[in-house]
Amino acid sequence: MSTEAVEEKIVKKVSEPLLSKRRKKLVKDPLNEDNPITVQVLGICSALAITIKMEPTIIMGLAVIFTVMFSNLIISVIRDFIPNRIRIIVQLAVVATFVTLVSELLKAYNYPMFKVLGAFVGLIITNCIVMGRLEAFAMGNKPYDSMLDGLGSGLGYAWIILAVSFFREFLGSGSILNFKVFEALGIPYVNNGLMVDSIGAFMILAIIIWIQRIKTGYVEQ
Amino acid sequence: MRQSNTYIIIFTLITTVFVGGVLAVASLLLGPRQAISIEYDTKSQILSAVMTITKKDDVLGIYDKRIESLVVNNKGEEIKTDSKGQPLIAEKVDVAKNYKLKPEERMFPVFKYVSEKDSTQIEAYILPVYGNGLWDKIWGFIALDNKLETVKGVSFGHKSETPGLGARISDDPVISERYVGKKIYDDKGELVSVNMVKGEKGLPLDTHHVDGMSGATMTGNGVNKMLKDYLDCYESYFEKVKSQNVAGL
Amino acid sequence: MELVSIGIKAVFVENMIFAYFLGMCSYLAVSKKVSTAIGLGTAVIFVLTIIVPANWMVQEYILKESALAWISPQFEGVNLEFLQFIMFIAIIAAIVQLVEMVVEKVSPSLYGSLGIFLPLIAVNCAILGGALFMVQRDYTLAEATVFGFGSGVGWLMAIVALAAIREKLKYSNVPDGLKGLGLTMIITGLMGIAFKSFIGIAM
Repeated sequence: MSTEAVEEKIVKKVSEPLLSKRRKKLVKDPLNEDNPITVQVLGICSALAITIKMEPTIIMGLAVIFTVMFSNLIISVIRDFIPNRIRIIVQLAVVATFVTLVSELLKAYNYPMFKVLGAFVGLIITNCIVMGRLEAFAMGNKPYDSMLDGLGSGLGYAWIILAVSFFREFLGSGSILNFKVFEALGIPYVNNGLMVDSIGAFMILAIIIWIQRIKTGYVEQ
Repeated sequence: MRQSNTYIIIFTLITTVFVGGVLAVASLLLGPRQAISIEYDTKSQILSAVMTITKKDDVLGIYDKRIESLVVNNKGEEIKTDSKGQPLIAEKVDVAKNYKLKPEERMFPVFKYVSEKDSTQIEAYILPVYGNGLWDKIWGFIALDNKLETVKGVSFGHKSETPGLGARISDDPVISERYVGKKIYDDKGELVSVNMVKGEKGLPLDTHHVDGMSGATMTGNGVNKMLKDYLDCYESYFEKVKSQNVAGL
Repeated sequence: MELVSIGIKAVFVENMIFAYFLGMCSYLAVSKKVSTAIGLGTAVIFVLTIIVPANWMVQEYILKESALAWISPQFEGVNLEFLQFIMFIAIIAAIVQLVEMVVEKVSPSLYGSLGIFLPLIAVNCAILGGALFMVQRDYTLAEATVFGFGSGVGWLMAIVALAAIREKLKYSNVPDGLKGLGLTMIITGLMGIAFKSFIGIAM
């Protein structure tokens, strides 16, 4: 009788649905309440410099999602073997490997974008989101969960930079994804130079953060 | 155990070998594809001085058929081998690297755009140019007609000119269209190049000036200097070609 | 002359923070007090000045196409550039460790003020960014060193200025949602505008 109960429990644990509530939360939380950029203040470094246009931003977002997901996965798989003293450098090595892969793929299949993004692909290595997730989550959790966590953080990062780039391209160049909106509508529009400049990115990000924090009620001390 | 030095060293070694291996394999597999991408990119940049390239165009095919290339020095002599005696390929000449040398030591590629029907008939000469914009490097190609007097087209690129202002040299087709039909020699036969004026007023200008870009005078100055510098370097080559043409007649 | 121009450009016009957003994480996290900001800023100058030339040598003599030819002509044409990211980051991490140890041995007082910041620096984007930009821009060794130092100085100026402003802001009445990150972003933007005014002195 008692053994049966135990068995049942184990079975239950093993068959946790592929997308259980807890796992959905792993993906969903970083999108808003626990957003890596606006709440955890991570990974602003390399990303904002490439948000002038939406196209490179999409590529950058995908690259970060890819990197953080798979680095999380690999680190989580080998987490029990990593010597504590050199764990940071091991994490860096794994991240650098994935970033190099992304960069090589980009060079092979989308050379124009490779030229636009330049050094900023390499800077994903020091994107604090990637390192932060490895250290805070992947080192202590199962591979599949870590991957979902990576996906969530990556998406949370991607949507913010995409939002920033939308406003910067729309107001700064008068276009969306290189489609000249104002020209097509026949409305004369003078491009806003401030938005094209890095300063515009700071301002837009500040406004996004403000709006988001009013909604979530989060107050920084 | 996990903290002992031997374990750490072994772990590091395994990681290094593994990571290095993965990257080497990836680089080997993707290498050929990357080479094609880069080739495609260079060739479409060259061709963009004389035609508008869309994604559907078979850039490499057109290039093979219509471009003949050679390399000259600033005395207008053709050079066939580099310093190590290797045969020179005009497409592989790194204009950016040559820019750092003195003009006498530079190699200047020339791309002849030949007629579709008769490959001995040259329609245009496409020449690379390179220089400094406001923020960083700018570069491009200028195409001259077969008399080497009139501009047939230009295409510019830039590293980090201000988007929406200086960056228009590559983003805004209007800018490069303005150069078409302009002359690089004045009435006395002096090479004056084509200059962008300050401001963007849309006024009619003479054959050596084009309208400027508002808010990007510095980039415009860079473009002017770049064109003049390089056309000067090619001048002896122009003279040579012209005298040959005359002799041929 | 070229060197002066690169230095000035790196400090003001192409400031790591205002123009490229590099090193933002620590910039935002450590800019609450002027004294700590100075500590971290000095450490960044220190490390950038060492690392950019160090990575330059690695790039020039190991990674670049045909770079290994100095060992034997056999290696002509070998291109190890695919190892660039991993080599750079490994060297940064190693040098940061090394610097930490040396500083600890040589000058305990300096270690007291710099020490805690050094580990933070290994993952500072400004450092890797400096190294990658140096490659992209094809600098010579001297130019790379000046660029590294200049970028560090620019970074220090930015973080110290921000810290000073934030110290004063503590006593201001700021809308709840803007407190902290939001307002810091806006201030950084405004400071960026001020730094933009140096464009004119590009030489």
